[in-house]
Amino acid sequence: MAETGVLKPPGVLGRLGPVGRLRLVIIAAVLLSWEALAASGLLFRDVVPSLHRVAFALVRLLASGEFWSNAAVTALEVAGALAIGGTAGVAVGLLLGGSRFAERAFEPYLNYLGPTPKIIFFPVMIMGFGVGWGSKIAMGALSSFFPVALSTAAGRRGVDRVLVRVGRSFHLTPWQMVTKIYLPAIRVPVLNGLRLGFGVSVIGVLLAETKLSNQGLGYLVMQAYSRFDMPQMYAALIVVFAAAVALNAFIERFTVPRGRRT
Amino acid sequence: MKGTAMAGDTPPIDARGPGAGDPLLVVDDVSVRFDTPQGPVTAVDRMSFDVRPGEFISVIGPSGCGKSTLFNVIGGLLDCSAGRVTVGGATVRGPHPSIGMVFQEESTFPWRTVIDNVAFPLEVRGVPKAERLDRARQTIALVGLAGFEQRFPSELSGGMRQRVSIARTLVFQPGILLMDEPFAALDEQTRLLLGDKVLQIQQDLKQTTLLITHSITEAVQLSDRIVVMTYRPGKLKRIVRIELPRPRTSDVVSSPAFGHYVAQIWGDLREEASRGMAESETAGRSP
Repeated sequence: MAETGVLKPPGVLGRLGPVGRLRLVIIAAVLLSWEALAASGLLFRDVVPSLHRVAFALVRLLASGEFWSNAAVTALEVAGALAIGGTAGVAVGLLLGGSRFAERAFEPYLNYLGPTPKIIFFPVMIMGFGVGWGSKIAMGALSSFFPVALSTAAGRRGVDRVLVRVGRSFHLTPWQMVTKIYLPAIRVPVLNGLRLGFGVSVIGVLLAETKLSNQGLGYLVMQAYSRFDMPQMYAALIVVFAAAVALNAFIERFTVPRGRRT
Repeated sequence: MKGTAMAGDTPPIDARGPGAGDPLLVVDDVSVRFDTPQGPVTAVDRMSFDVRPGEFISVIGPSGCGKSTLFNVIGGLLDCSAGRVTVGGATVRGPHPSIGMVFQEESTFPWRTVIDNVAFPLEVRGVPKAERLDRARQTIALVGLAGFEQRFPSELSGGMRQRVSIARTLVFQPGILLMDEPFAALDEQTRLLLGDKVLQIQQDLKQTTLLITHSITEAVQLSDRIVVMTYRPGKLKRIVRIELPRPRTSDVVSSPAFGHYVAQIWGDLREEASRGMAESETAGRSP
């Protein structure tokens, strides 16, 4: 609420609050510096193209059929990667989290492999799945598997023991134990894992596309680069960035823990 | 699923009032031994007592006397090494359908609203939605939480959450309400007030109740009889009948008779508690 003594209702900027205003200032400052740098001519040719050229390139890009077909390829690759990596991750995570033995035997390997840059496996994937979408899905799936598995295992271990005893005292069937106790109890960590997995599978797929491919957004970026069409390259990067932010925000809506314990 | 009979097949409460009639629950010569790296430990040693329809029984003992072990055995979550527990004459094997358990720990489902928490036992038994929500609403009102049906446990205080747990167990009308230190984590004043609530519920429902506690005042305030246990191994020390008039409220704590009972039970417990304290100090660990 506004303090007493405010004479006029706050405008758009006023409603944003100090943090929101600072964020706007940062964006404006970055754009201004960018434009100043572009106009200064200090850098080689088009390394920093001026904003209106990037904007034109963005419009051109979004109007072209070539962009949409490549975007569809990347989207399908990410979806496939997350479906495979996520399913495997949840399954393995449940097994690891459910057994102290499995945890001790296998989890160290996951912990070591998890942070390893998966791109080092790309040559293997190309040999296994070809230069097309197969190797991209494999890269994305491999990337997303680890965060999903580790997060699910932690969630499974974090299930409050007393809730399991409550379930037993109410005579739950094994199936009811899974659907009424375990799954709701691990929903948030699993979705958090999927969110992380989504992020890294996008990275895995795009990185693979920039290395060796014949379609996809990563391919489009590299094509623009090889033609030294910087405005178009930046336009493609902006699209990728915007899509990633939007999808992340979408998944986040499901991971707000309802009724968290205080 | 163990046992298909539902609550309600327990014998009717005898017209002569609480404590009369055949025992509903019998703890018959129950012993529990655990194997530990230090060798076998007897947690509960040949405990025997019974609970009659409509009665409120407390089991009291010092920390580490095996109270919670006994709770798990009676609730069917743990097998005893010798002896048996019977409900309505039948030996308990696994959780019994007419025993409703309330746990010491925070045990509400954080992902369910109050009403969905309370309706839970009815939901898993396949009670139609309209009926279970109706019964849940009534039970929520019974524990004094009307108006909080749509809240999540995280939005409630510890005492309110524990009342949700009690309501969740009461909603399926268990023949015996079995509670393990349900107020242990709460402050003294909240405990006294919740004690009032439990007294009132017990009087309204004629609910047969077995309470495990380490609080002497709580036991005297609520009980018809108090089962006093010894320190490790947990044996039966004495059963004290509390002749305070009913209906009671927390006002009873100021009466001379109340003080007399508290002093009597403390007399029994003091040597057990100090033995436990001495033992845990020499062992260098807390029980």
